[in-house]
Amino acid sequence: MARFKLYSAIFVVLMALSTTQAIVEETGMVDFDAPGTYWMAFGIILVLSFVKATFVATYYMHLRWEPRSVTYLFLGGLFVALALTTAAAYSIL
Amino acid sequence: MSHGEADGHEFPPMSSVKRWFITTNHKDIGILYTITALFFLVLGGVLAMLMRVQLWSPGASILGANAYNQAVSAHGLLMVFWFISPFAFGFANYIIPLQIGADDLAFPRLNAMSYWAYLFSGLLFIASFFQGGTFAGGWTMYAPLNLPTYMPNIGGTTVVLALIMFIAAVTMGSVNFLTTMYRMRAEGLRMRDLPMFSMSILLTVWMMLFAFAALLAALMILAAQHIFGVTYFSADGGTLLWTHLFWFFGHPEVYIVFFPALGIMAECFQTFTGQRIVGRKWFVLAMVLVALQSFVVWMHHMFLTGINLEIKTLFMVTTIGISLPFDLMVFSLIYTMIKGRIRYTTPFLFSLGALILFIIGGITGVFLGAVVLDYEFRGTYWVVAHFHYVMVGGATGLFAGIYYWFPKMTGRMYDEYLGKVHFALYFLGFNLLYFPLFVAWETPRRVFDYAPGLTSWHQVASIGGFLLGASFLVMFYNLFKSMAVGEEVGDNPWEYSTTAEWAVSSPPPLENFEGKPSYASGKLTFREDPQLTADGSGDNEPTGTPSTDGGVQTESAAASGESALVTGPEAVASAATGAATVHTEEEHADHASFWPFVICFAGFLAFLGLSGIQDGGAYYWLTGAGGALSAVGFVGMAQESFHTPEPTVAEQWPFEGVENMKLGMWMFLGSDVVLFGGFIGSYLFLRVANGWMHWHHAFIPEAHVTLPGLINTYLLLASSFMVVLALVASHKNSKRGVVASLSLTWLLGVGFLINKGIEWNHLFHISTEAFPNGWGISTNVASSTFYLTTGLHGAHVIVGLIMLMYMIPRAMNGAYLGDDEVSIEYFGLYWHFVDIVWLFLFPLFYIL
Repeated sequence: MARFKLYSAIFVVLMALSTTQAIVEETGMVDFDAPGTYWMAFGIILVLSFVKATFVATYYMHLRWEPRSVTYLFLGGLFVALALTTAAAYSIL
Repeated sequence: MSHGEADGHEFPPMSSVKRWFITTNHKDIGILYTITALFFLVLGGVLAMLMRVQLWSPGASILGANAYNQAVSAHGLLMVFWFISPFAFGFANYIIPLQIGADDLAFPRLNAMSYWAYLFSGLLFIASFFQGGTFAGGWTMYAPLNLPTYMPNIGGTTVVLALIMFIAAVTMGSVNFLTTMYRMRAEGLRMRDLPMFSMSILLTVWMMLFAFAALLAALMILAAQHIFGVTYFSADGGTLLWTHLFWFFGHPEVYIVFFPALGIMAECFQTFTGQRIVGRKWFVLAMVLVALQSFVVWMHHMFLTGINLEIKTLFMVTTIGISLPFDLMVFSLIYTMIKGRIRYTTPFLFSLGALILFIIGGITGVFLGAVVLDYEFRGTYWVVAHFHYVMVGGATGLFAGIYYWFPKMTGRMYDEYLGKVHFALYFLGFNLLYFPLFVAWETPRRVFDYAPGLTSWHQVASIGGFLLGASFLVMFYNLFKSMAVGEEVGDNPWEYSTTAEWAVSSPPPLENFEGKPSYASGKLTFREDPQLTADGSGDNEPTGTPSTDGGVQTESAAASGESALVTGPEAVASAATGAATVHTEEEHADHASFWPFVICFAGFLAFLGLSGIQDGGAYYWLTGAGGALSAVGFVGMAQESFHTPEPTVAEQWPFEGVENMKLGMWMFLGSDVVLFGGFIGSYLFLRVANGWMHWHHAFIPEAHVTLPGLINTYLLLASSFMVVLALVASHKNSKRGVVASLSLTWLLGVGFLINKGIEWNHLFHISTEAFPNGWGISTNVASSTFYLTTGLHGAHVIVGLIMLMYMIPRAMNGAYLGDDEVSIEYFGLYWHFVDIVWLFLFPLFYIL
């Protein structure tokens, strides 16, 4: 039962954070003609995505209860993907 | 008689053709890999000799321009992908379980599937020759040469699909080897004590898992450009995007090719000098460092492109940096020879030859790592010569392997004299072929015309090429003859071998060991009934000072500072005298399944059909037949009873408590992260290249709004929640709860797809001033990235729904309750990962 409550609470948080992302867009912060506001909204929305992904991986995928090495494996893949993306994008700036 | 026959497992003998279609045993698969790889060596070699004939004089027209381009491209692709690595994995399949003390790989059927996917991908490549010509854009497949505009023949598309199928094989193999090596090591065998060959394969499969996923992303996008008409590589920045994706894979690939050879060289240096690798710990650390560094040097292949000077400088530094650990390894091998007493056997000669060739290849590569020099050398035969000294230098190490393990695999010794003749011809032919190319470096790469003054050098190279080719006739004759009439060997023909494969008969029995291999006592022993401790480990802690290759240093040796090993002959002696050898009667694994062959044959048909699906007709039927047959194959495999017991006692650090299937799933997801990373990274790169803010104004229609994405986010999150509820219900033994939760998951997933379908349909048919013909997949770069990336995600959802369609009826029949909940957990890992991906796609494609 304890897990059921935990899973349910996380589900509520995930739905709320997703709604928050849409609300940020509704407020007009995602303004392509106002870079300052746009990049602030960009940061907020992506941080929320990372928070949601962390909740799903940690609790729904049970990383919290697995050996830490499994987390490192997953983060290894993420690091490789981020390294490719950031270095490639930087190379043409 | 093998136990398989004795126990009625219906596993045919090796003389039966049927066995080779149904086998899942790692040694059989290893033999299949080795023979198939050698076939592709011959095919690639014949193409190379055609090229050398063409290059006998400048502008010779034996092949014709396009045929030459096809020969160059096919030679490169076949040798790099279908020969070198699979050849190494023939040995890996055969030897790794023996070296680490496992009965087989963790997933034998997956191993068979990996082999058949490899074989059929190669056959797909061969088929491309008969579809109006094969791929002609070079092995690096640079854009825009790789696009349908410049390569309209179907054969070019077939090669792209063949590579995708090949990567599927590689990924299955990587997951399998990683799971096996982390979860099935003999008791007492710590990771750091893995034999050198096993260590090299471990690092290789790690690199493969991530590097090939990036190439898979590139190839899937390229296939979509050929088949569906997306515009990635023809958009602004598209050509540069290809080079980033290709070389992010391509540089680790150099080490993916070379590391297994390095492992074999280290084994041979130890065995034939009687001396442990000097500085073994540092040698291993250097290999780990190179494996990590290999992912941060790729842009040195791009110094001539428009990337900025800062990043070029940074990558020049990282490239110079990667040569340092290699220096350490080279000196370690040289010092091992100095300290030991060399036996000049054929495997040692090939190992030494590989070292010399690699040193030359490495030094000449430093020139290309320097930005200024690379401006001069890039696109010339300097690169061709350097590249072949490294890659074929690696293959030289692999030929050491075939002689080294030939007695183990066949039970007979090869002809030593012929082996040395092979080496002499090979080494002479190699250097006659490739060294003149350094001198004739001004020859433009991939072009059959060159300055007349370079003719004599090219003629020397052509003579060398034919000599190199002829040397393999000696090898094939030697191996065929020796298989029939070679001197019979016992368990161990090498006096100073140190690894466990030499402690069993040649060839080894079906399940490798009669008894449980253990290093707990400090040396290799076999015991019957290990007493389990509470944590599931063996009762005997390893004693003494652990040393190389699973053995330990003897106290006297440790005291004297020497590096004498107690594995190898002593271990063999120990086993032979029966000091600790006991025969166990344990549950046997299954070894036979026809389904891997069926599924991969179906994949071959489907891909062949897909290659020409735009032409319709027979290609539709081929695609449909392949799809239907693969469905039959997967259902057949799922229904088949196939038993592969996990070892009861094994070293499993650092994945204790994570059962094989779960770890395999996590490994697969790790690779899938990079695949999606490649897609999302491509989108971000193209958006930067086209102007981040400009993108939205220029390419996105007003009708593309947030709401459909938000609804789909809700649907997927709810479906993930349902999966965890299914797990809770399973824990409570509630059949109704499991069925209801899984059914709701399925319905929410279907809802996700319906919502996506409605959205796509709307966007396809909008009619505005900016987009009068709708916003289709080929409209612009933004629509291509949107449809392809979310489409890939949608395909993952469809796969999940198909899994659920199998699981729900089973749940209705009472499956997945109590201890059987793990199946839901494994499915959940996949489904939640698909959910996580969407959590990033939603903001990137719908809000930002």
